[in-house]
Parts: sequence; structure tokens; C-alpha cells
Amino acid sequence: MNIFLYLDENTWFHRLDPRTKIIGVLLLFGLIMVFNHPLYMAAVALGLLALGAAAKALPNFWRMRYILALLVVFSTVLWPFFAKGPTPLWSWGRLEVSRESLMYAVAMGLRLASFVAAGLIFLSTTTNEEFTHGLIRLGLPYPVAFAFSTALRLVPTFAGAGATIVQAQISRGLDVESGNIFQRAGKFIPLAVPLFIYAIRHTNMLAMALESKGFNPGEPRTWYLNPQMRRADYIVLAFLTVLFLAALFLRLQGYGQVLPRL
Amino acid sequence: MGVAISIQDLSFTYAETTRPALQHINGEVEEGTFVVIMGHEGAGKSTLCYSLNALVPRFFRGEYAGQVVVHNVEVARARVAEMSRRVGLVLQDFEAQLFSTSVELEVAFGPENLCLSRDEIERRIDHYLRFVGLAEMRRREPASLSGGQKQRLAIASVLALEPPIVVMDEPTTDLDPVGREEVLSVSDLLRQERRTLVVVDQDPDTAVDADQVWLMREGEMVAQGPPRQVLTDLALLESCGVQPPPTVALFQALGWPGQPLTVEEAIALIRQHNLAQPRPLQSPAALTNGRPVILELRDVDYIYPTRAVEALSGVNLQIREGEFLALVGQNGSGKTTLAKHLNGLLKPTRGEVLFRGRPLQEIRRTEMARHVGYVFQNPDHQIFSNTVREEVGFSLRMAGMDAKTIEERVAEALAVVGLSGYEDEVPFTLTKGERQRVAVASVLAAQPQVIILDEPTTGLDYRHQRSMMEMLRDLHRRGHTVIIITHSMWVAAEYAERAVVMKDGRVLLDAPTRVAFAQEPILAEASLRPPPLLRLGNWLGTSGLTLEAMVEELR
Repeated sequence: MNIFLYLDENTWFHRLDPRTKIIGVLLLFGLIMVFNHPLYMAAVALGLLALGAAAKALPNFWRMRYILALLVVFSTVLWPFFAKGPTPLWSWGRLEVSRESLMYAVAMGLRLASFVAAGLIFLSTTTNEEFTHGLIRLGLPYPVAFAFSTALRLVPTFAGAGATIVQAQISRGLDVESGNIFQRAGKFIPLAVPLFIYAIRHTNMLAMALESKGFNPGEPRTWYLNPQMRRADYIVLAFLTVLFLAALFLRLQGYGQVLPRL
Repeated sequence: MGVAISIQDLSFTYAETTRPALQHINGEVEEGTFVVIMGHEGAGKSTLCYSLNALVPRFFRGEYAGQVVVHNVEVARARVAEMSRRVGLVLQDFEAQLFSTSVELEVAFGPENLCLSRDEIERRIDHYLRFVGLAEMRRREPASLSGGQKQRLAIASVLALEPPIVVMDEPTTDLDPVGREEVLSVSDLLRQERRTLVVVDQDPDTAVDADQVWLMREGEMVAQGPPRQVLTDLALLESCGVQPPPTVALFQALGWPGQPLTVEEAIALIRQHNLAQPRPLQSPAALTNGRPVILELRDVDYIYPTRAVEALSGVNLQIREGEFLALVGQNGSGKTTLAKHLNGLLKPTRGEVLFRGRPLQEIRRTEMARHVGYVFQNPDHQIFSNTVREEVGFSLRMAGMDAKTIEERVAEALAVVGLSGYEDEVPFTLTKGERQRVAVASVLAAQPQVIILDEPTTGLDYRHQRSMMEMLRDLHRRGHTVIIITHSMWVAAEYAERAVVMKDGRVLLDAPTRVAFAQEPILAEASLRPPPLLRLGNWLGTSGLTLEAMVEELR
């Protein structure tokens, strides 16, 4: 299974500098946090959906449809009990639901979904290397960035080995599906030990291969990836900054809120 | 021409071990020549490779004596990163070498470390991807490539550093026959470029084209010379755990003149000296051992949930009790998918699987584990215990047996695999061949009627391959049904009674082994070729499957 979400397309969003994408997605996160009125949140969510379409990331939205739906549904059902508003609609003992808390709940559902959507757009358009490269350009030291990207890269490899190990042990009669929690924890050992040993061997081999290809984290190196900040990048960053500040201003003026909280 | 590599009295002992890995090695490699290193597992071949680019003694510490000089640089005094410009090392485990998310970035990594300009990196990516035939795959993710493509990418990523010397440590061991051909054709290209090439390989076929063959045993160099000299000394090869060229072995056993290293040479010699008359092959009668069918697949289709590709389509197969069957075919042809249906690890998307006439859905997985044992390709995917005894007894404890029965069964299983007396050893410290045996014993302990082995000989040297297969033959004689998945044609030919050839999820050919291996055109469709001995046998019309049987017929 492929756990990476990157979709190899060539949209204007893909072509943006990774730095723009990193800062841009942070600005989007900020924007998502500003409003708690469902209508304003819906506008933000729709905007993200349009952006997703423009970046051709919708297949990943579809892949994550259950998670997105669950976030909206759960938060709409649960939030009303935790936020208190002035206009009561229904109450049962200490539990009460108000008009405002219900609206706030819908807004929170949209907010969570928007967070996931913004993250999805980023991951659908940015490869592991571009992300790392962006972080380096933003000042992260290379060895740290390299360790980070290699760790990300190894996840699917170890997941694949883990799947094989589970099958191998099931074939030997390991029953992973029954038993109470303690019995199940005991069954973890036949799976964890081979995976651990595999990880050590694999990492050691990787280290050898890296050194054999002249890798030396302390030394200067050049980059094949060479993203440039172009006009489009500055426009996007300026637009998002203005959008974020404008939203913040509106909210401080009292617009876009149903309850006086985040 | 100058000397590319010069090794003088090199000895090395890894830290925290006592046995020297290399002892007093001497050797010289001329620029632009091709050296093949052969020897048993643990003979020191990999260590010798590592000593050429300073992984020994820089990455692996230990006691180092003597010296290695590569293009006038003393290796032990250089750092690995410096050596990478002179010696490109391709490791055996290609999975572990690839770590980028796209093919082009994988190749870019080395040149980036050399601080080359972007234009130069671009040129090298372009050139070396074309060189190994992966130009079309530039944007692909390495994980989505086939084994042969991955290994070729690993080679390209090393070549991009443009080292004048290329060292490859068993580059074809884990590959299917097509992948093997692909990698060997790349090494041919390297030779045409007059790069110095050092390759560790088990197959005498590769060594035939070498300028020099180096033969190693127990850390020592026991022979160095042109292939015609080294590969014809059968006793020496056997003592080093190396498979002798079968055609040479045949000619020597028959007392025929000449030492043919290849089938083509053998045919030419037979014609020239009129040694034997080709005759039509007498097909043996189809084999039915008359015993009941134990496993049956009926119209089985299988589609992996994550990929929309049909991994099996319309497979029908009947396996009788007591058969010895080999599943052969390329990677991705559906062999492993088929085998995983036989113990219920996978459930067919359509069709059904029967065990002794009962549909598999009705049988619990834990019960199936007692009837059908499955040994995975890599023993390290299942070994987890501190002692061999615990490891082998695992499935019995899972089945809730009492301590005394477990003890007996473990002893019995270890005796079968030839590891009696290893009960208290730590499995992780055993050799690969021994670990493979522990894995087999741990499946045997449950005393399953059917035992399935995925690539039982991959990664083992010739000696261990032989003893593994002899052990399976012994199990077969005791009445077990044995099913192997294998890329090794000679293993299938010599040990299996029946061969099932798979291609694109279908059964292409299902016949007694000798009959199957006589169908060269059909095998070619599945990108397979009979082993050398049987190619010669097909030409001669002999019906034997082993060297001994052919000698008997031709005498």
C-alpha cells in the first residue's frame, strides 16, 4: 500500500516553491482558526475545495472521504454539549444544547475538515524531498532535515516488512484475532522482534550505501532540486497574508463568530 | 595498461570476533578488466569488496593488516566518501540502498555529494538512466519498480559518481531470471566501456566471460586465474561451495575430450568429436501417484484490494498427497499469490480452494497452520526467540500442547533439518543457511502434511542450497507433500516431480518436470530457460534430470 499522498501532476500549485507551500499552508491553518461561524467557515472550506480542485488533489480528498465525513459528523454531534450559548434549545439535566452551540459545532466540524483538507493539498503537491528542501531553505540544518526525510521514507518500507511478518507468524499458528488485551500484548513479541531486527539490518545497510555514494552530512553539497521563488510565489504569499490579516481584522470587529471563543 | 587495484597481504578481523574474515589476500586487477569473485557463504567475498572502498576498515572496525591500493591511493588511509569517486560499490540488498521518492533524485544523490553543478547532475541523470535502460522511469517512485529495475537503478546511482572501478556484491542473487539478464546486460555494457569491474557471483555462467576468477574459501584466496583454468577444477570448486559448470562436470564424468564452459561449446564439441547422436526425447508417462487430492483450486481469481490488477485469473490446480511440485515464473506472475491461497492466507476473490474436499473458508486459520506449513522467503521475517528450542516450539505452544510433546517434536524437527544439538543456540547468530533451516524446522514441528516453501534456496550458497534441497527430498520421501516457489531452474529440475509455470496470473504449463523443461518455446513465453544441463539434454534427447542420470544414459 502506498501511504504517500503525493500526486505527480503539473499544476501551478505543484510548481510553487516548497517554501511558499510551507508558509502558505501555515497561513491557511491560521485562516482556518479565525472564524467560528458556520457560514464563514463554509466559505473557507469551499475555498479550500476549490484550491484542491485547482491543485488536482481531489482524488486524495476522495480517498480520505470517510475520515473527513467522520470529523464533521462527530464534531457536530459532540461539540454542542461542551460549548454553552445564550439561546437554549433543549436540555436534559445538566446537559443543554443551545442554538449557538449547535452552530458552533457545525463550524468546528468544518474547521477540522478544513485542517485535513489544507494538509492534504500540501501533501498531494509536495514530494518528501521538496518538503525537506523547503525546510533547509528556511534554515533547518541539513543533517536534521536529512534524518527527518529518511525517517519518513522508511515508514512504508517497514510497514511492508511488518505485513510480511504478520503473515509469516499467522502461518505458524499465531492467533492475532482472539484473546483479551494482555494476551494480545504477549502476541506482539513475535511480530515486534523480527521487525526490530529487520529495521536494524536495513538501516545499517542504508548507512553503508550512503557512505559508498560519498555522503557526508557535515560537508558542503549541491542540490539537483533547485526551486526558485518566482513572481507567482510572491503573489501567492502576498494574497494569503492579506487574506489572513483581513479575516483577522473582520473577526476582531466581531464578524464571523457565534461564540466568543476560538 | 595500469594497475587498478593492488591487494598486498591483506588480513582483516571484524571487531568483537575472533575468526579472521580475510587472511593474507593478494591480488592485482588490471585497468579495464573483469574479475569475478566466487566462494561459499562466509568466505570473505563481501569483506573483500568492502575493503576496496574503505568501508573496511572505516565503517567496519577491526584488526587490519596489509594494504590495498586503488589507483595509487592507499584505501585504509582514505575516507569512504573520498573513495566513492574511485570505487563504486553496489550492495547485494538493493531494497536497502534506495531511499528517494523518485528515480531521478536517487541518481542525483551521489553527484550532489560531489558538489557538482546542477547542469552536470542533470547530464549524469540523463546519461546513466539511459545507460541502464530506465530513462522512461525518471519520475517513478523506486518502490514501484520491479526487482531488476531496482537493482539497475542502484547501479545507475553508483555510476553517476563516475568511478573508474565498479564493484558489485552479488547483484543478481535476489532477482528473477529476467531481472538477472537485465543486470548482466548492464555489466556487459560496463565492460565495453572498459571500466574495471569486480563482481561477486555464485553462478558459473557469469564467470565464463571474466578475465580472472578469484576463488575464496574460509577467508583465504585459493585460486586466481582465467575461467578456463579455475572453473574446470571441479574438486576445488566443490570444496569452496561453488557450483561447477554442469557441462564441464558432464564431460569429465563421461571422460569426453574438452572442457566446455557453456552449452553452445558442449554442442560444438559433441558434433566435432561425434560423441553422441541426438535422438528424439522420450516423454515419460504423465505421473499420477494415485493418491487422493489434498489441495485443489477451482477457477480461482484474485484481485489485491489495494491494486486493481488481477493477480490470479482462472487458476485450476489439483495437488495430490505426496507430490513434489515446483511453482516457477517471473516475479509478479502470481506464484506467491497462488501459494498463499493454499494455506488460507489469502481468500480467492472468485472461485474456491478445497483442502481434502473441504472449502477453506470452513477451516480456521490456526487449524490450517497444522495441515499446511508455509516457510517464508526470508527466515528473518519470523525468527524472534532467544533459543532455537523456543523458536521451533512456537507453533506447538500456540496450539496448546504439553511441554513433553513439544520437547519431543522439537527434537524430531531439528533432527530432520540437521540441526540436532542446536537447541540452546541463539538463532540470530546462526548463518543464513542455518537460520533458513530453523525456519523450516519451526514449520515442520507442527507436522503439517503439506509444506510450502517460498524461495528456499535464495541467498544460500551452492553447498547450502544442496543440503536444503536434499532435506526437502528426504521430507518428500517420508510422505510429505512439498511445494516450492523458485527462480532457480536447476533446483526445480533436479528435485521437483512436477512443474507449474505461471505467467500473468495464469497457469501456462503444468507437467512432469522433464516434459515441462522440454518445452523451450513455452518457457520462453514466461521468460524462463531450462538449466544448462537440460538445454543440452533437450538437444541430445536424454530424459534424465540430473547429472548422474544423464551420465548413465550417455555412457
